[in-house]
Amino acid sequence: MWVVATLLFLILRIVPGDPAELLLSGGGVAPSPAAVAELRERLGLTRPVLAQYAEFLGRVLRGDLGVSLLDQHAVGEEVARRLPRTLELILAAAILAVAIGLPLGVLAAVRRGRAADRLLSTVASFNLSMPVFVTGTLLVLVFAQTLRWVPAGGFVAWTQDPAGHLVYLLMPAITIAIGLSTVIFRMTRAAVLETLERDWVRTARAKGLAPGPVLRRHVVRNAMGPVLTVLALHMGTLLGGTVLVEYVFNWPGLSGYLVRAVEQRDYPEVQGIVLVICAIFVLLNLAVDLLYAVLDPRVRH
Amino acid sequence: MKRRTFLTGSATTVLAASALPRRAGAQAKTRLVFALSSYPPSIRPWQNTGTAAATVKLAIYRGLLGYDPKGEVRGELAESWKRENDRTWIFTLKSGIRFQDGEPVNAEAVKYSFDQMLGDKSTAYLKGQYAALVDKLEPVNARTVRFVLKEPSATFGYLLASVHSPIISPKSSEANAVGAGPYRLGDVERGTRLDLEAFDGFHRKSRPKTKSLRFIAYADENLRVAALRAGDVDIIEYVPWQSMESIEKNPKLALDAVDGPFMYLVFNTQQGPFTNAKLRQAVAYAIRRDDIVKAAFFGRGSVLGGLPIPKGSPFYDPELANYWKTDPARVKSLLAEAGMPNGFKAALLSTAQYGMHKDTAEVVQQSLAAVGVQVELQLPDWATRVALGNKGQYDFAVMGTVGDFNDPDSLTGFVGSGQTASYNRSFGYGNAKVDDLLAKGRAELDPAKRKQIYRQAERLALDDAAMVGLAWRSQGYAMQKSVKGFKNMPGFLTFYSGLTLEDAEAV
Repeated sequence: MWVVATLLFLILRIVPGDPAELLLSGGGVAPSPAAVAELRERLGLTRPVLAQYAEFLGRVLRGDLGVSLLDQHAVGEEVARRLPRTLELILAAAILAVAIGLPLGVLAAVRRGRAADRLLSTVASFNLSMPVFVTGTLLVLVFAQTLRWVPAGGFVAWTQDPAGHLVYLLMPAITIAIGLSTVIFRMTRAAVLETLERDWVRTARAKGLAPGPVLRRHVVRNAMGPVLTVLALHMGTLLGGTVLVEYVFNWPGLSGYLVRAVEQRDYPEVQGIVLVICAIFVLLNLAVDLLYAVLDPRVRH
Repeated sequence: MKRRTFLTGSATTVLAASALPRRAGAQAKTRLVFALSSYPPSIRPWQNTGTAAATVKLAIYRGLLGYDPKGEVRGELAESWKRENDRTWIFTLKSGIRFQDGEPVNAEAVKYSFDQMLGDKSTAYLKGQYAALVDKLEPVNARTVRFVLKEPSATFGYLLASVHSPIISPKSSEANAVGAGPYRLGDVERGTRLDLEAFDGFHRKSRPKTKSLRFIAYADENLRVAALRAGDVDIIEYVPWQSMESIEKNPKLALDAVDGPFMYLVFNTQQGPFTNAKLRQAVAYAIRRDDIVKAAFFGRGSVLGGLPIPKGSPFYDPELANYWKTDPARVKSLLAEAGMPNGFKAALLSTAQYGMHKDTAEVVQQSLAAVGVQVELQLPDWATRVALGNKGQYDFAVMGTVGDFNDPDSLTGFVGSGQTASYNRSFGYGNAKVDDLLAKGRAELDPAKRKQIYRQAERLALDDAAMVGLAWRSQGYAMQKSVKGFKNMPGFLTFYSGLTLEDAEAV
């Protein structure tokens, strides 16, 4: 984490662009240099870089992510508000993706080479090659603009309107789930196919177990390992990678916040967000390792 | 297979059920929803933080003067004003009006606001201009203020009408300013939306017409249009040019567009090829401006072959406005005169972050390739482009902006010298004669004489090719047909359209 923090700090300051200048030059106007100098002074950007670095590390160690250069809003507070939204989006997408991808993957593996498998695999490769902004825009076009079933995008809090919240969540979650379910589908299909060839499956069948229990207990459970790894990796990437979906659906999550912070060169915000994303990535991998143990008793030893 | 049918089935039910609550909410007309192109970085009263912020600021804060929907200066907090002599202006405030915190709007509040704007630590956008112009500000009595200027000024009224010089309550500070505008700030979801509630003590009776306003930021232009079509929002700003035609054809929607902002080229006159005015001229005569209007703005705009003086302005001169026409023969002779008959190489700075900047740069590149000038495009992100522009690290660059007000004095910001380097004017350019004329024009109060002065200044700046105009671009707002009263203001004032939100209602 220290390495990440330091790299982040350095890269941000090497990238050209001055936050004070940018804040005062919205709409293509020229800020007066005196005002820019004044703002730089006020924002603490005139101090030596090393002093800024020391202060930054000290703050991070105390768990304080600092305040935005733009409006002195606490970064920690904003991350705390937006992170759950992105997590919720990713989680909803993951649940949808597993609910679709896993059963279909098993189905395709069991019916390998037959019509169902071929159809599913074709759809899957089609889905995989569709970028989210195309899927998202199509969904908006069909369901919001033409059918007018759902709003074109946006967000309301759980506390204000739970039903409305789910409506807003649905389209971005589906958009991510379409791509993610394909990944899960393909991984499941491959893993199940491999497991089906194993000796213990043959043994189970030989001793007269019904096909259902064989599939459930001996095949799918053993095939879950790689599927889970892939899912976790993808979810980790999605933490910072839902930008396009958040953008297309105006979902006020963490990635959109990160992009805006980078555009405005809001150093404390970028640092705070990336650090939190890194921390979660590490935690996610830990969680997956623990889940392995639950799924596969052999790992526990 | 069964599970799959179940899944699609349940998804449809959820979708259908979810449509109900939204429909009911869309009927309410006590609230107008306005889609902004970006979330305002800050709505501090005197800082210029962009056009989206300006729209919100105009709903919350007001200054001594403002504009009516036709773009004429009118009294806002001031009821009347007169010039005592060349340098002294007297303002009488409306009687009995209050700020949103209940404090009276009086001469002390005006003094307080100007003291803050001109303070040492102030980052006010107009600080420099006011500091250079205002000698004394004296409260005469509770309702009367006297401004004594250092020199006569034809543009002082425009400065006071600027969105960047509102008067705030003396009980508030810049960080948490309380204004006297038609709406007060309510619930805010940072980065997403701002809710505003009508201020019942607004100085114009029976305004605002709508009880509450909601600003939602839709950064994606296509989603902004989709939200309008879906009925999620009532008004959108920055209508993308490619969507203008379909909005015009939609019976439920209305488009209100004016030619306001403009695109132009700035040059590095300190180093590189464009230190030579002949080469700047050659570029000006080489560009196919029609193609820019077509390629970057889908035909929504018009060519700008001179300096940016809007067409409706009394200072508009058709001859000077079309000074540069595409003329390959002229380019050839200019190149030969500059000693480069076979063309030269130059780098053009623009940004890939905004399509209109990139598309404009590409047309410029092609136009110049046709006359043997090889242009290499530099397309960093906006932040980098601004920094490079301010430091003068470029040969020439594409820019797009508006003037501060519909008066030729706006040209000072683009062709005047003695100001510090900025990405929105040519780096290092200065012509003492132009400066003299601009100063003379500012201090001259007779409109006929001002016209003559600015003609001369324009001619000089055009000869120098201090900046090269490319195109006016159409700036559009779109709204539901049911929305009445909201209007796109003319020319450079298009970004002041937020003023008319006080008249807006959905019927």
